[in-house]
Amino acid sequence: MYGGGNIFEKPENEIQEDPVKLAEFEARILAGEKIEPTDWMPKEYRKQLIRMIEQHAHSEIIGALPEGTWITRAPGFRRKLALMAKVQDEVGHAQLLYSAAETLGKPREEMINDLISGKSKYSNVFNYPAVTWADTAVIAWLIDAGAIINQVANSKGSYGPYCRALERICQEESFHLKYGHDNVVFLATGTPKQRQMVQEALNRWWPPIMHFFGPSDKISVHTETLMRWKVKMASNDDMRQKFLDMYVPKIWDLGLTIPDPKLRKNEETGVWEYTEPDWNEFKRVINGDGPCNAERLAVRKMAEEKGKWVREALLNRNEMYSVPLS
Amino acid sequence: MNVNEYKYNSHTEMSDELTSGVKDLLFKMADDELILGHRNSEWTGLGPILEEDIAFSSMAQDKLGQAQAIYNLLNQMGEQDADTLAFTRNENEYKCCHFVEYPIGEYDFSLMRHFLFDAAEALRYNSLLNSSYKPLSDLAKKFRGELRYHTLHSEVWIEQLSRATEESKARMQSALNECMPLALGIFEPSKYDDLLLQEGVFTGEENLKSGWYEHIQNILTNSGLKVPDLSSITPSFGGRNGYHTEYLKPLLDEMCEVYKIDPEAEW
Amino acid sequence: MPIKSIDPRITRANIEIQNKETSKENKVLEKLDHWQTYEVFAQNKRGEHYSHVGSLHAPNPEMAWILAKEQFGRRNKITGIWITKTSDIFSVTENEEEMFELNSEKIYREAGGYKVMDRINKFKKENKKISEK
Ligand SMILES: [Fe+2]
Ligand SMILES: [Fe+2]
Ligand SMILES: [Fe+2]
Repeated sequence: MYGGGNIFEKPENEIQEDPVKLAEFEARILAGEKIEPTDWMPKEYRKQLIRMIEQHAHSEIIGALPEGTWITRAPGFRRKLALMAKVQDEVGHAQLLYSAAETLGKPREEMINDLISGKSKYSNVFNYPAVTWADTAVIAWLIDAGAIINQVANSKGSYGPYCRALERICQEESFHLKYGHDNVVFLATGTPKQRQMVQEALNRWWPPIMHFFGPSDKISVHTETLMRWKVKMASNDDMRQKFLDMYVPKIWDLGLTIPDPKLRKNEETGVWEYTEPDWNEFKRVINGDGPCNAERLAVRKMAEEKGKWVREALLNRNEMYSVPLS
Repeated sequence: MNVNEYKYNSHTEMSDELTSGVKDLLFKMADDELILGHRNSEWTGLGPILEEDIAFSSMAQDKLGQAQAIYNLLNQMGEQDADTLAFTRNENEYKCCHFVEYPIGEYDFSLMRHFLFDAAEALRYNSLLNSSYKPLSDLAKKFRGELRYHTLHSEVWIEQLSRATEESKARMQSALNECMPLALGIFEPSKYDDLLLQEGVFTGEENLKSGWYEHIQNILTNSGLKVPDLSSITPSFGGRNGYHTEYLKPLLDEMCEVYKIDPEAEW
Repeated sequence: MPIKSIDPRITRANIEIQNKETSKENKVLEKLDHWQTYEVFAQNKRGEHYSHVGSLHAPNPEMAWILAKEQFGRRNKITGIWITKTSDIFSVTENEEEMFELNSEKIYREAGGYKVMDRINKFKKENKKISEK
């Protein structure tokens, strides 16, 4: 899962690219063709793609942690099996996405090092805790719903390996969404205690959900070139609007309250109005000061370290690393 | 096999004594799968490398699926439904062996347990293919493919790690030494063994154990490990009669925490 | 102080929060720590061609296939898997586009390049005339 909350860097200095090759490259993208790993590509395209796919991969593997919190406590076989399969899928998504990013020339080990050292980012929402079982239901439904909106858009992007990975990922996400919805529906239509649990979880998760698609286009870094190159496929605000349009009615259907008194659809403009999310909080959390940042990274580090002897035992040092094909 | 060739197509054709024996067998099988599936699920998202994380999680899911199917069969035989059986019984009503109760430890312990347990499990199901009780034979058929992958996965891992570095060899040997008494607890004799054998329902724990020992000894010895002699080990018995290790109670408390918020609720 | 997490698995793992400053130089993984890369090909149905379904990290072919089976065969049924080291694949790819271009004038090797009915019909017609005489 992943949102548009990724931060694109401003190009450090304008890199001079071969104008003929650049024109051919842009013409190809304009014609709707995909770019493949061995094609010529602008340095900036490669850099931003690595950054984006890597952030996406990190979000999947770190995203396995908040829901993993409840793996040993899921109530009943149906939920226990589904939650395990869902978290397993997220690990699988990380596997696919790291491979896609590797095709651009950054080995998986380097990406994981950058994750653990705090150099690379991942989706902000995973720095919040899943306090109760109901939080996993809300995450699986609404965070995955947001992720699908973003991933469906990205799957129409220009980089072949990323699109192919996303195609499979989107299929699996639709199971996540159904599972999450089913889970929320059971809680919302259940006992008073269950209803209370899910309402409280929604209250906790609403602000991160509003952060999920990233800062408003009005204040975010210029992304025209990335849009032209089909790296960034939809504006943060557009995706947020789409999400609200699709899911707010479904949440209200269940008699749940969304903790934003200003939230309403302006019937004239068709645009959702809401309280502006706290973007300072967003920045603070993405820069490391959220409630769970330190734990998430420490856990990831622990997993890598605990597995080290296993990997080292089977490593054949006579082999060379090759960039995966796709 | 033709339907008519089974001695028992339904438990209603059995004596009360035999029904109790079959239920005893089913409970220990289901409880083992449930508790080990639960334990192994703890690795999901935390495994030694992404690819193995996925494989190990699949097998934990398979185990829980098997547990559920066996509880469903018990339900058809008059017991409560699968969720109630798995999530609401008292500790002393579980019949799992001590082996599955132990914490996951390091990956060496988890893999060695996976290998030793699944070897026994595969042989158990294999013998049940010929059970005179049709539902048991059907169950064994259903899980054959899954078990094939589990044993293959565990054998490749054990063989490779036991032959790799000094560290990995030493780790696998000490995991084996730690596991053996626990693994033998799988085969704790039951007062129903003779009856089940006579009636052609199940070959019995003692027979299973000798087949298992021969099988794992082959693989482990070929992998360069020293297999402890059976006579030198005191098996960890008690689980089949409801006497458990210190690890089971906290595991159950954790597993049932949400379910017990309101057992009447639909989750 | 070890982390006390909402996740009981994490609490049991007994891990420390890392110091933010020292963690910046943290290089947990060395080169090749996650093994080599392999390419995976799968067949969806008996009788069909195998096609490329993705890559994975593994230490040797046997392990690669064991791991590939779950990552690439757990959701869709597959009937077979091929594994190869990425480095063993010789690939000629997209940037050879001009060479891959097809010359549409090579009709001598197309079925559509052979149209003989006109000739046969003409032959039949003439034959008929001769025999009528
Ligand atoms: Fe995902
Ligand atoms: Fe997902
Ligand atoms: Fe198994």
